[in-house]
Amino acid sequence: MNSKRELNWVDGFAHCLIHRAARRAPEPLPERLEEEWLADFAERRGGLSRLRFAVGCCWATGVIAREQGVAALAATSSPLGNGYLVGDGGSPLFSRRAATFLLVAGLHAAVLYGLAIGLSSRFNKVSTGPLEAREIKSPPHRDLLPLPPPQVSRTRIEVPISEAMPRIESDPTDAVQGTRQEPQRPLPAPIPSVVNRVQGGPGSGFPSTDDFYPSLAIHMGEKGVATVRVCVDGQGRLNSEPTIMQSTGSSRLDEGALRLAKAGSGHYRATTEDGRPVNSCYPFRIRFDLRN
Amino acid sequence: MSLQTLKVLEAFLDNPVDQLSGAEVHQRCRIASGTLYPILLRLEAAGWFVSRWESIDPSSAGRPRRRLYRLTPTGLRRAGEVFASFNRGVLA
Repeated sequence: MNSKRELNWVDGFAHCLIHRAARRAPEPLPERLEEEWLADFAERRGGLSRLRFAVGCCWATGVIAREQGVAALAATSSPLGNGYLVGDGGSPLFSRRAATFLLVAGLHAAVLYGLAIGLSSRFNKVSTGPLEAREIKSPPHRDLLPLPPPQVSRTRIEVPISEAMPRIESDPTDAVQGTRQEPQRPLPAPIPSVVNRVQGGPGSGFPSTDDFYPSLAIHMGEKGVATVRVCVDGQGRLNSEPTIMQSTGSSRLDEGALRLAKAGSGHYRATTEDGRPVNSCYPFRIRFDLRN
Repeated sequence: MSLQTLKVLEAFLDNPVDQLSGAEVHQRCRIASGTLYPILLRLEAAGWFVSRWESIDPSSAGRPRRRLYRLTPTGLRRAGEVFASFNRGVLA
């Protein structure tokens, strides 16, 4: 009874937090975020998880409001990072991260400059003293004992001659004349050309896993992720049978994954090299997950 | 691109045709709501995702509508490129 009352109290408090967080979001997001968050909130189990969700929504509102305040997100931003460089409209010129970086770099430069100035002034003080001529005496001659002759042991070393290694026949006239030949240096290895390779994957029109979820597996509540390896030609069609690289642990689901991979032939994105589609083999994952 | 954004994209790339709610994305990649929703909105604003309301009647279903997110063709291509740049020479 007590725990139920506690849960209701937590739920009420969390609802209140979500409502307030959503209302603080910039227009036109408040209604949308409130409904979306309440729907996702309903799927959370446990009082602590729900409370964390609600607190997270408050944090999310702050982030969203800050991002929307910094720039017109939809028009100019890239999702690759939080940094913005906005020149007009009263927005900050640099993001906080860039400003911090510039500040740290500036401090480093100032310290280095200070050290350089300090060292050079000290050096100048030393070097600007009165010049005086001094006679430098040569070091006294020391009689050194002769070193004993090195002991050289002769060991015969057999060096196998590789068949692949070309033999270089020396010109007998050189041997007669006693001229010394420079050893031939090996030619440098050719520099490998850099190819911009973009790996393919399931593309648009690729079938849904729901259509290939084996009914018996659904009945038995089986779920899992299979890694399937496919070989695809430049038109996104399979050119060999797909294989299971990592099993789901269920032969039924693995079969379903293979059938899905085959059915997707023609809907794969081909791997490209420098923008040109090429034949390639690559793995991708298929998740069978039971919802509801 | 942050690690959390990559995790969100990975959840969608498992089945690119899937439509996922924020709760489902959370279940898959365990990202806190304070980080997850800004990422979803950011990716939607950049055209990588589109979202729509779940087509149910909340009063008859007894619960609010969920907001479902899906990768756009652009998002699918760009996300594939991002992951390919990580996997280049390893998986291919």
